[in-house]
Amino acid sequence: MFNIETIRLLVLAVLFAPVAFAALVAIAGLSGYRVARRVASLGALLHLGMTVALAVPSVFVLMDRVGLETKAIKAPREFQPIFVPGDPSLDSGSYETTWNLFTVANGPSELPPSAIQFFVGIDGLNIWLVVLASVMTYIAVLVSHGSIRERAGGYYAWLFLLQSAIIGAFLSFDIVLFYIFFELTLIPAFFLIGCWGTGGGRRDAARKFFLYTLLGSLFTLVGIFGIVLTNPTPVSPNSPSKHQYMILANSKGQILFPKAGPVTFSISKLMQNVSTWNRTHAEKLNRATLLRIEATTAFEKANGKDPKIVQQAEAELKRADVEFQTVKTDRDDYKSLQYWLFFALIAGFVVKVPLVPFHTWLPATYSEAPVAVTLLFTGILAKLGTLGLIRIVIPLCPDMAVQQGLPVFGFLGALGIVYAAFCAYAQRDLKMLAAYSSVSHLGLLVLGTFTLTAEGLTGAALHMVNHGLTAGAMFALIGFLAERYRTTDMNQYSGLIGRFPKYAFWMFVICLASVGLPGLNNFISEMLLISALFTPETTQAVGYGFGVAAASGIFLSAWYTMTMLRKVFFGPLLLPPQPTAVPPRDMQPHEWVAFGLPAILCLILGVFPQPVIQSMRSDVNIIVRQTDEARARLETEKSLSR
Amino acid sequence: MNPLSIQTLFEQISLSIRFLGPELTLVGSACVLFFLAAFRSNRLLSGFLALAAIGAATTVNFLVPEPVFVTSDRYIAAIDPTGVAMFIRWLTLAAGAVYVLLGLSDSSRETAPEYFGCLLVVLGGLSLVARANDLLSLFLSLEMISIPTYVLLYLPTKSKAGQEAALKYFLLSLFSSAVLLFGFSYLYGITGTINLPLMTETLSNASLSGSLSPLALVGIVMVVAGLGFRLAAVPFHFYAPDVYEGASNGVVAQLAFIPKVAGLVALARIFGLLTPDAPFDSTRTLLPFTLWFIAAITMTFGNLLALIQDNLKRLFAYSGIAHAGYMLIGFLVAMAAPDAVGTSTQSGFDSVLVYLVAYGLMTVGVFAVLGYLTHSGRAIETVDDLAGLGRTNPVAAVLMSVFLLSLIGMPLTAGFNGKLLLFFGAFETPTTTPMKDFYRILTLIAAVNSAIAAVYYLKMLGVMFLRTPLQPAAPAKGYAALLAAVLCAVGTVGFGVYPKPLVDAARKAAPMPTVPAKVFVFVP
Repeated sequence: MFNIETIRLLVLAVLFAPVAFAALVAIAGLSGYRVARRVASLGALLHLGMTVALAVPSVFVLMDRVGLETKAIKAPREFQPIFVPGDPSLDSGSYETTWNLFTVANGPSELPPSAIQFFVGIDGLNIWLVVLASVMTYIAVLVSHGSIRERAGGYYAWLFLLQSAIIGAFLSFDIVLFYIFFELTLIPAFFLIGCWGTGGGRRDAARKFFLYTLLGSLFTLVGIFGIVLTNPTPVSPNSPSKHQYMILANSKGQILFPKAGPVTFSISKLMQNVSTWNRTHAEKLNRATLLRIEATTAFEKANGKDPKIVQQAEAELKRADVEFQTVKTDRDDYKSLQYWLFFALIAGFVVKVPLVPFHTWLPATYSEAPVAVTLLFTGILAKLGTLGLIRIVIPLCPDMAVQQGLPVFGFLGALGIVYAAFCAYAQRDLKMLAAYSSVSHLGLLVLGTFTLTAEGLTGAALHMVNHGLTAGAMFALIGFLAERYRTTDMNQYSGLIGRFPKYAFWMFVICLASVGLPGLNNFISEMLLISALFTPETTQAVGYGFGVAAASGIFLSAWYTMTMLRKVFFGPLLLPPQPTAVPPRDMQPHEWVAFGLPAILCLILGVFPQPVIQSMRSDVNIIVRQTDEARARLETEKSLSR
Repeated sequence: MNPLSIQTLFEQISLSIRFLGPELTLVGSACVLFFLAAFRSNRLLSGFLALAAIGAATTVNFLVPEPVFVTSDRYIAAIDPTGVAMFIRWLTLAAGAVYVLLGLSDSSRETAPEYFGCLLVVLGGLSLVARANDLLSLFLSLEMISIPTYVLLYLPTKSKAGQEAALKYFLLSLFSSAVLLFGFSYLYGITGTINLPLMTETLSNASLSGSLSPLALVGIVMVVAGLGFRLAAVPFHFYAPDVYEGASNGVVAQLAFIPKVAGLVALARIFGLLTPDAPFDSTRTLLPFTLWFIAAITMTFGNLLALIQDNLKRLFAYSGIAHAGYMLIGFLVAMAAPDAVGTSTQSGFDSVLVYLVAYGLMTVGVFAVLGYLTHSGRAIETVDDLAGLGRTNPVAAVLMSVFLLSLIGMPLTAGFNGKLLLFFGAFETPTTTPMKDFYRILTLIAAVNSAIAAVYYLKMLGVMFLRTPLQPAAPAKGYAALLAAVLCAVGTVGFGVYPKPLVDAARKAAPMPTVPAKVFVFVP
């Protein structure tokens, strides 16, 4: 049915079609906003179709992979993207590409050059996010129908460019390419907030957003360089041939350790390299420690015997000591550098998520930006941050993620859950309430991610999709009121259920999904995240505090959401002064699609989450394997140092 | 070989002259233009002649085959046509064409022949800097850039600020040349030669055996100071904001770019960074730390002061200072390259060349847009004058935003690729030298600086697109400057999306050293 080459082309089409739509819609915009919005919604719908056509075969392949894996016992050590354009092999693929963008350094000529590549592909973690991006952009276009009339062509064009940049970051398997797309999201976002924002402070909000995110991501760039340079491809110590899985015994049975080869920018290869170098260091250290222990016992035994033997044993001990010290210094240097790199690397992502206390750009941005833009920000842009954690930070700094992740960023996540929930309760503006609610839920996501257990990571990967759907839909629903009454102030609304009964129905569905009602999507992922916090690994490390904070977050979320529903939808009817002569009508046809589509998807994901979980499983296992190895390594080291 | 024998002298001259076809063409055409000035003064004609001169120089470059230059010639010839020379020649010719276009909207009718004549001499000088192989030809080529610049600054002396700028630049530039010459005299006195490769070799050997005279440091510091003026590196930057403010856009576009290229290439020549088989081992001296300090101060100082500027030219002057700091990072990395020989990754002066091209494209582009707008009858002096440009003059605004995004370092622009290579190079520099982790710290400082710089670039972007216009749209006329800006924008985006040709050319021009660093032997 599907030819591999066609699907590879489809990957490129999904990535670049929005750029073409942007050009089209910008031209169409010249003949008025009606034409622009028609072209935009057709383009977004077409893109949704393409994404689905891409998702169906991908999901089948990914679900098959899990079956293969149980036979092979262990998960691989690196991400294995499928349908990579530019893959030299024709059938199932070699999980790499030949499309070089440019080389950054002249390595020795016998080795392949270190190139930044155009390396995009599909795996279990990103396919659902790409679908989500497509769905949310379609909804964003629909929601903008009535509210955007001025320079509509430009508006939709930036919207599509934003979509393209976000999808590019989702699909990237080259670390610099990821960064490029990650940075490129800033330009459309800047213009969307600054030009089409609704408040008076939109210029400052746009600048604040841009600068804050840029500062964070520049640290990430430095971190990326550090990771790339400290984890070059391991090659055989005797010849420039690559050998990926270190520790090769030569003919005499001696173990050979790899030496540093050319650097690589492919995330998959970096994962292998990180794991190889960590194991090399650990193995060297273990051997040196054992040798020293042996030498010490030999020296103690030799004590009081022939002075010649004592001398020999002493020399041996000294040699073992020197060896141990050099290996230990090497390991400590590597680790202390990884420590700083971990914090540098994570900086850009915690700002993007945003994690409390790095969320201070958020209130201004969300209150000034048009509703459709906030929808995209919370629905998919924030997922760049969380995907960055799962795709880059944890796999490339596994030791530090184990050591620092939960105590530092897990703590910030837990803090964020509670703090943002109280902030949400205190808001008088619907948009801000939804924004803080989103921060609170994302705090749970980060907290669960850093448990680094299969449950936590599955929950996180699934929650990215679920949260995108519900939080995005929430903003779409708020857009309904913003479009009709030009305000989202909660104090000006009351008793809406009588005036807009159909609208109220969809609002209830999405609010219940957001709260985590069983049968709807968030229930599944939040339960997974919370259960991860009560696994023995986590509770041994940090106790029950984080679990309690996370569980209270669910309760708090119900509290502020229900309070909002009571205030806005029940009680006596109260409406702000209507800006138009004609009284606003209830649901329009395009709104049925915009609210119904996410609501139905919430229901489907709540009832049949298994295909999604199943297709993510092999990739989650890959990360879990990395972190499990890191955990084991750290424990051995700790016990040996005693 | 006795450097003073008559035969060697003739050999030198005959060796040298044949490598200078395009440069001689440029300077010769300049003479024609100066001569023409006595009879006719026509802007279009002069501009056309200048373009023709650049075209002729390009043709000469293609048609006249250069004689074979063997490595041993390097120790006699005054001109070295290998390595970076051809790269800079191409850069000069391309930049020259853009400058002529910009000059068409910038020069006045009466002084046009002089304007373009001076420009051609400057271009000849720039190309010559990359070929100079001894102290004499180097100093000569540097003065070929400075002296016409004084004239260029004096030409439109209608305003008081212009006069002040011209005088300030004249005096300070003379001073810096004197300092440079002073440094040269020390270096000559210590090594007994003016030939650059011989000189670096002598210095290198002396420093390795521990018999280096302390006066060598004085000489080198003087050279760094003299050339630091051309780079506008802190603390030799004081003239830049005032001179930029007083000069016309076309001249500022030259001032912002040409002396920086000349200064960096001259420094690289003196430090032996462009001779892969005889690099100067400087990593175990005080020099890297001195330059590290200058780089860190230069970018931080430039960016912080740019934050508080309102006047556009002053702002770009400080921004140029900050960029000089970024370029010095690459220079430091290149200095440490001999220590990286044999390791799996290394980068050297090539990243500086890439950054120079990127910087040239975006900075000249900015002044081309400003020249276009000024020529259209709008006075563009402060940031506020740009307000609402996105509505009144969308073409100029889009061009300007391309340059600003490139200056910020956003992906898909040449500025991003330039920064990427610089930062990457700084991070991968070996930590085995006495500088230890300082290069990595410098990367971090540069990253923070990029974020600071984004503040003021973004302010301009915001002013252009997010504010309502203060002035009505003026009819646009300076099409030549607009064309120059479009060329720069095409280059910026082109090298941003597909940087491979540029990077490859830079690597070919500045290959890695082949000789590893010698271990310093301390002789008490």
